[in-house]
Amino acid sequence: MLKVLIVDDSLIMRRNIKKYMSSLGHNIIGEAKNANEALDFCKDNKPDLITMDVAMPGMNGLDVIKKIKDISKYFTIIMVTSYGKNQIVKKALQEGAQGYILKPVTAEKLYESISKIYPEYKNEEESEEE
Amino acid sequence: MNDETEVIHTYTKDLLLPIVKRVKSYFEEEMKIDIFNTSEITSPKNIHLKKNTIMIGTSGSIKLIITLGYDDLLLSKLVEVFVNGDEIEDADVDEINNSVACEISNTIIGNAINNPVDKSDIYITPPVMVSEAKTLYKDKHSKFIYVSFVTKYGEIQLTAVGPKEQFEEKLDFKEI
Repeated sequence: MLKVLIVDDSLIMRRNIKKYMSSLGHNIIGEAKNANEALDFCKDNKPDLITMDVAMPGMNGLDVIKKIKDISKYFTIIMVTSYGKNQIVKKALQEGAQGYILKPVTAEKLYESISKIYPEYKNEEESEEE
Repeated sequence: MNDETEVIHTYTKDLLLPIVKRVKSYFEEEMKIDIFNTSEITSPKNIHLKKNTIMIGTSGSIKLIITLGYDDLLLSKLVEVFVNGDEIEDADVDEINNSVACEISNTIIGNAINNPVDKSDIYITPPVMVSEAKTLYKDKHSKFIYVSFVTKYGEIQLTAVGPKEQFEEKLDFKEI
């Protein structure tokens, strides 16, 4: 079970990601609706995984990655973005994000993204096939 | 709307058609709401915005304001799909409605935006809800592009607003 922090300014996205993560067996230890809340949380807590919206008012997700990595380079971050084609994804990965999910977010996309980073969370049938 | 003119094939259409297609695919495939009819892309002199309108700006070499508007009943249906049977506390209803409209608009525009002119990246601003939106009147330096979609729960209204010269010079806008 991963300890997860959800960073998103959208209430419906925080609710839905929380629901999907819980259905995958992970534990939501925090929610942040902006960069400052996320940074404060990461100073005092050690989430295994952070899901981060790219487009937030004020400091955007790319800037937040840098600051979170300044707190600890070991934080694992999955970016959530609606952009499929441009440099944002590339930049996020360069800044230290471990993965990204293209909106719309689903439980399946979260599962796939988490499994790439943490192969031990693949379900049994899939692990056996490999 | 009045004095509408139909837009013929140009960079304007190359920019808008992927968004038009994504509106259809998003509603039909993700939300399971059929689109019965899609209007022609037109350039009206004014636009009466819907009460629930989301505004997203683009930056980079193409600078536009794109809006997506939703009828009340349609937005209620979208919220119903998004919350998937979960209870919403009374205090959260307005914020949930706004965030669903913003999230859908951000996903559609972000998934579909492209730059037909020079292929450089176009960035989009976070979405903003313009509630109780009214009529936009064009002045001589601006241009409006308009498309609407009909569902059984009401209409979706897509508009793009930008400087006239950008449409005419950069986006090769022509009208008949």
